[in-house]
Amino acid sequence: MGRVGRALVLHELLERTRDRWVLVISALFALLATGVSLYGRSAEVEVAKLTGPSLVTLTALLVPLVAMVLSHDAIVGERERNTLGLLLSLPVSRIEVVFAKYIGRALALVASVTVGLGIAMVVSDAAGARTLSQLLGPTLLLGLAFLSLGMLISTCSRRQVTAASIVVVTWFLLVFFYDLGLLGLLVITDGAISQETISTLVIANPAGLFRLQMMQAFAGPEVLRDLGMTATLPGPAALALLWIAWLVVPSIGSGILLTREKVT
Amino acid sequence: MNSVEARGVFVRLGQVQALDDVHIELEGGKATMLAGPNGAGKTTFMKVLLGLVRPDFGSFAADGEAIDIDNEWKQRIGYLPEAVAFSDNLTGRQVLTFFARARGVNRSRIGAVLDQVGLGRAQRRAVRGYSRGMRQRLGLGVAILTNPDLLILDEPTAGLDQEGLSVLWGVLDQWRAAGRMILISTHDLALTERRIDDICVLRAGRVLVQGTADDLRRAARLAHRVMFDVVDDDDPKVGLLCDAMTKWGKGRVERTPGRLIVEVTPDSILEVMKIQSGFPETVRGLRVEEPTLDLVYDKLLGAA
Repeated sequence: MGRVGRALVLHELLERTRDRWVLVISALFALLATGVSLYGRSAEVEVAKLTGPSLVTLTALLVPLVAMVLSHDAIVGERERNTLGLLLSLPVSRIEVVFAKYIGRALALVASVTVGLGIAMVVSDAAGARTLSQLLGPTLLLGLAFLSLGMLISTCSRRQVTAASIVVVTWFLLVFFYDLGLLGLLVITDGAISQETISTLVIANPAGLFRLQMMQAFAGPEVLRDLGMTATLPGPAALALLWIAWLVVPSIGSGILLTREKVT
Repeated sequence: MNSVEARGVFVRLGQVQALDDVHIELEGGKATMLAGPNGAGKTTFMKVLLGLVRPDFGSFAADGEAIDIDNEWKQRIGYLPEAVAFSDNLTGRQVLTFFARARGVNRSRIGAVLDQVGLGRAQRRAVRGYSRGMRQRLGLGVAILTNPDLLILDEPTAGLDQEGLSVLWGVLDQWRAAGRMILISTHDLALTERRIDDICVLRAGRVLVQGTADDLRRAARLAHRVMFDVVDDDDPKVGLLCDAMTKWGKGRVERTPGRLIVEVTPDSILEVMKIQSGFPETVRGLRVEEPTLDLVYDKLLGAA
């Protein structure tokens, strides 16, 4: 990354630290994770069986929204402030601008999620802290995947309010309705679609992938069978590739779209 | 860099021919104004020079040598976009620090630039507390940060108060004195006239006319007003002078208390003075009023 890109990463990070929204995210995430963790502790049941799945549900709902909100104004915000032209008049390629903005915001997201989970770990007992530590890596991947998607939405949008609306719709579609849609598909086709296809479609959505991965981590592979899924998660290499694709492809798409724009 | 030339620039945006065979030259030590109605192609041309709009055709030269609009070129340009607004959460100093870092400018220059644009005392305040004019001045600070060879200012006077205008005039004077180039687009023709050297009037993506303000006045052939201050309104010789001017027939004659006004084309001004010299002691002074640049601009656009 060149001089402009590095400066932009720092600038984005600085801007996010001044952004009250990021502070609210950290506080909210810490509060909810701590609450769930303490509840699991007081319930006197096996922590992983109660705290883990609850935290997975909480994270799968909250983190994608937070990540997309964090990135939805990355490009369109500059466009509305009339500073995108100023930014692109610097000696830098457009794809580098997108990646620098992504990295700057990714660092802010990583910091707020880590701080949130870290606080919850501190107040939890040993078992709770272990559960939370298992959650950290996949939660960051989930956040970064949706952050990347938010970058793409930001580049495609002409107005910030449009980008915000698309973010909310995307969140509903991928986090709430996706699984319901797949269930509907199974019902409509009367089981004509194979379990493998459904499993593939589930893990094609980062929120679904995260849920399955964490369910398996907390409750063992049998939990997928209990859910009626015959297929297992792909191997570590395929999983890593899947996550990398979600992290990188939307951002590359964003960079290509911005590069292909004739007028900025 | 002492000159920049854009030749045969064509830009088509959808159904609109935004620039149509545009040829513009910029010279060191001169400020060139782009004028024209909305949609004439002023901002598009600026964006072409900034690499923000890709032309369909066109070539560019600096000091007579062909150049590409690449990163090396971008390093030599300072840009103030129209109605610029920076991130509300950052201070003026933080905004400039980012651009200084991105452009490889020594951080010691930041304070000097903030002082120059009159934001020295507001540098640690968040931009959200800045007025429109202060944001515009911050934008000007970003544009001049690297002491660029070419300064591109899109509607720089918008939102500026008298203090802001003084800052802008100071920058323009400094750039011209240093032999650098300025390309400025504005609707405030009268306000900017004294600070510019060349004017390029665009209409529907084409260059209508390019030259100095005097060149444009000549092209517009608008009447100048020759105003004589009369010594004594009751003096019969004043009536005779008025009759002589009317008989001469090359200008419109108007008489008001204490004044005789003749509207003529610039090449007839000497003849008017010659006629007046035949009536000594009738006037105590005269003033020639040029048509305003706004009138010239309207005439040129109306005639096109």
